Amino acid sequence: MFESVQQLASGFTIATTFYNLFYCLIGAIVGTLIGVLPGIGPIAGIALLIPATFGLHPTSAIIMLAGIYYGAMYGGSTTSILLNVPGETASVITCIDGYQMAQKGRAGPALAICAIGSFIAGTIGLFGLVFLAPPLAEAALAFGPPEYFSLMVFGFIVLSNVTGTSLTKSLMMAIVGLIIGTIGLDPVTGDARFTFGSVSFLGGIEFVAVAIGLFGIAEVLTNVEKPLEMLEQRVIVPRLRELYPSLQDLKKSITPILRGTGIGFGVGLVPGPAPVIATYSSYMIERKISKHPEEFGKGAIEGVAGPESANNSASQSAFIPLFVLGIPFAPPTAILLGALLIHGVTPGPLLISQHPELFWGVIASMYIGNFILLILNLPFVPLFANILRIPKKILLPLIILFCITGQYTVNNSVFDIGIMLLFGALGFLMRKWAYEGAPLLLALVLGPRLEVAFRQSLMISHGDFGFFINRPISMVFLLATVLFLVIPLIRMTLKKQRRGEVKQ
Amino acid sequence: MKRFFTILFVLSLIMVMPIHAVGFPTKEVQVIIPWAAGGATDLIFRALAATTGKYLGKAVVIVNRPGGGSAVGYTEGAKAKPDGYMLTSGVTPLTILPHQVTTAYTYKDFDPIINVVSDPSMFLIRADAPWKTLKEFLDFAKKNPEMITVGNSGAGGGVHLVALAFEKAAGVKFNHIPFSGGGPSVTAILGGHINAVSVSPPEGISHVQAGKLKILALFAEKRLEMFPNVLTVKEQGIDFAMGMWRGLVTPKGTPPDVIKKLHDAFKQGMDDPVFKKNAMDMAVNLSYLGPEAFGKLMAREDEFFGKLIKEIKK
Repeated sequence: MFESVQQLASGFTIATTFYNLFYCLIGAIVGTLIGVLPGIGPIAGIALLIPATFGLHPTSAIIMLAGIYYGAMYGGSTTSILLNVPGETASVITCIDGYQMAQKGRAGPALAICAIGSFIAGTIGLFGLVFLAPPLAEAALAFGPPEYFSLMVFGFIVLSNVTGTSLTKSLMMAIVGLIIGTIGLDPVTGDARFTFGSVSFLGGIEFVAVAIGLFGIAEVLTNVEKPLEMLEQRVIVPRLRELYPSLQDLKKSITPILRGTGIGFGVGLVPGPAPVIATYSSYMIERKISKHPEEFGKGAIEGVAGPESANNSASQSAFIPLFVLGIPFAPPTAILLGALLIHGVTPGPLLISQHPELFWGVIASMYIGNFILLILNLPFVPLFANILRIPKKILLPLIILFCITGQYTVNNSVFDIGIMLLFGALGFLMRKWAYEGAPLLLALVLGPRLEVAFRQSLMISHGDFGFFINRPISMVFLLATVLFLVIPLIRMTLKKQRRGEVKQ
Repeated sequence: MKRFFTILFVLSLIMVMPIHAVGFPTKEVQVIIPWAAGGATDLIFRALAATTGKYLGKAVVIVNRPGGGSAVGYTEGAKAKPDGYMLTSGVTPLTILPHQVTTAYTYKDFDPIINVVSDPSMFLIRADAPWKTLKEFLDFAKKNPEMITVGNSGAGGGVHLVALAFEKAAGVKFNHIPFSGGGPSVTAILGGHINAVSVSPPEGISHVQAGKLKILALFAEKRLEMFPNVLTVKEQGIDFAMGMWRGLVTPKGTPPDVIKKLHDAFKQGMDDPVFKKNAMDMAVNLSYLGPEAFGKLMAREDEFFGKLIKEIKK
C-alpha cells in the first residue's frame, strides 16, 4: 500500500512536466469534442490520433490517448440532454431524464451534474485503480462462459423494464432487440443468418445507428408533427443563476453519484458491454429506491447523476484489465492496446514492473485530466444550454444533419445511415404507441453475447446444463434472477391474502 | 489560334496521362483495412503508411471499412478503380471467407503488390497444465477424443481453421470453442476455462513472457527468435506449418508499371529502420514477398482453405 503511494507520487512528477500536462490537455479537449459530436466515438478519435503520436515518448502518447477516452465519457451526455441524441452507447440512458430536464429549461443543471458526477466517479475510480488493480484483475478472470451467461441473464431480466413503464411492452421490445441481434454471422458455425444475401448485414446491425435512430431521429420526427406555432416558439431562456445546479439538486445527486460510481467500477471489470450494463443498472437502482419514483422519466436529476457517474467509473476500471493483463475488455481499450504496442510497450502482466514510469505517469495524468475536464466542462454549460435557444425550425434539420454525418464517421458506412433512418421511423411509431426504446437497445447489446456465452458453455460441458449451477458465481447470478422474478409474486399473493382476511 | 491548339494538345496529353504511370502518384494513395481501427492489421499498415509516404512522394492514407467479417471492405476494394489509388490490405481471411459465405469477390479479383508480415500460428496452454510436452498433449487427446477444449478467436476465422487443420495432421479430435476475438480467448485460458488456445502473435505473447502461459505447439517453418528454445511441430515429427499473412493488393487490371511503383515504395517503407523498429516492438514477423510470390501464396492458401472448409461442412 505504502509503495503504491510512493510510486503514485513519482507518477505525479512525470505527469506534471510541461509536455505531459500539455498532451493531457489536448487529450481532454479532443475527447470532449468527440463526446459532444454524435456518432464519432472515442475509438475513431484515438485511431485518428495514433499516427500523430509516433514521434512522442510512449508515456506522453498514452496520456493523450487515454485523455481522449475518458474525455469522451464527459462529453457524451451533452447531446443526450440537449437533443435526445445519444452520442455514445454509454449515454443512452441519460436521454430519458436528461432530455426531459432540458425540456423544462433545466439543461444547465443536467449538464453540470454530469460533469460533477463524472469528476467524483473518476476520482474515486482512480483510487480503486491504484490500490486494487492486481487483485481485481485476477478476480475478473474467474468469469468464464457460464458465469458470463448467468450475468447476462440477470442483466437481461432485471434491466429490461428499466424505465418502469409497461412490463409487457418492455419485454416485447426486448424480444425485438434479441431478434435484431441475431442478424449477421453465426458466432459458432460462421454461417450467415438473416442477411438476405447482402454483405452489409454480415457484420450485424450497428448499435449506435439503432440508438441514434430510436432516440434522435424519432425525436425530430415527433416534433415535426407538432403544430407550426410550437415549432416557432422559443424555449424558455433560463437565467444564469439557474444554469448551475442548486444546493437541493446537489443534495439529491450525491448518493446516486456515489452508488453509480460503485456500480460502474464493478461492472467495468467484466468483459463486454460494461457502459451499457453500468448505466442501466444505476438508473434502475435509483428509480427503485427513490422516494418519488414517479418523477423518473419526467426529468429527475438522480436519473442523470447516477448513470453518468457509473459510465465514467466504468471507463476507469476498464484500464485495470488492460494494464494488468494486457487484455482489452472494451473496444476503446483495445485500440489503446494497439497504441501501446506501436510505442514498443507490451501491455501484460509485466507492464507495471517493466514500465513503471508509464503506468504511474498515466494514472497520475488521469487524475489531473479529470480535474482539467471539470474546469473545461463547467464553463461550457451556458454555451451548450444556449443551443436550445435556436428556433426549432432551424434546430431540427441541423440535428438530422449532425446525426447523419456523425453516424457516417463511425464506420464510414452509408448502409449504417440507412439503418439509422429506418430505426428513426420505427422509433417514431413506437413513441406514438408508447413503446420504449431502452429495452430494445439493451437486448441488442446483451443478446449476441448471451447467445455466445450460452453456446460456449454447453460446448465446454458437452451439453450438460448442470454446468451453470455447479459453478458458484454463475449460481449466485441465476439465483438472484429467480428471486427477482419470484419475490414480487410472493408479495402480491401475500397482499391479496391479507386483503382477503380483512374482508372476512 | 495556333496557340489555342497547342494548349488543347497539351491538355489532351494531360488527360491521357493517368492511363500511363508517368505521373503516378498524383494524389494520395488509400489503403482499405476491412476491420475496425486498432486491430493487428490496422496497426501494421498504419505504421507502414507512415514510412512509405516519403518514398512514394504522396501520403498513404488508411481507411477502415469494417463489417461483415471483412466482406464489406473487400467488396469495396475489389470494386475500386484499378488505378493504384485504392489498395486493400490482403490478409488470410481474403482466401477463407469466400469459401464460407457468398461474397462478391475472391482473391482473384485482386492483383498482388507485396506481402509484409507472416506470423506463425501456435497453441498456448497454461504453465500449470497437466501436459508438459506436445506428445503428452496429443496422447491424451487420442485417448479422450473431443475432450480437450481449444479456444479460437472466432468461428471459421484463421486460427480456428489452423486448429482444425492441425487436428487432421495430428490425427486427433479437439472440442473447439469460438470466442469473439483473440483477447477474449486468451482471457478464457488465463482464467482456466479452456485447456488450450489457438492464437497468432502478438496475442498472448506477453503472458508467455510472464510465465503464465507456454507455447505448446509452434506451427512455423523455423523457431522464433524471441523463444529459441521452443521447438516447432515439424521438429517433433508432425509435418505441419501455418500462419497468418498480411500484404497489400490492388483491384485486378491495375497497370503493371503502377504496381511496380507501389511495390518499390512499400518495399522501401518496409526496409525503413523506423518501420523495422515498430514491427519488432509489435512482435510481428516481417516476411517480404514480391508480387509474383505473394500471388502464388494466395493461390496456394485459397486452395487449401477451400478444401478444408468443404470437409468441415460435410
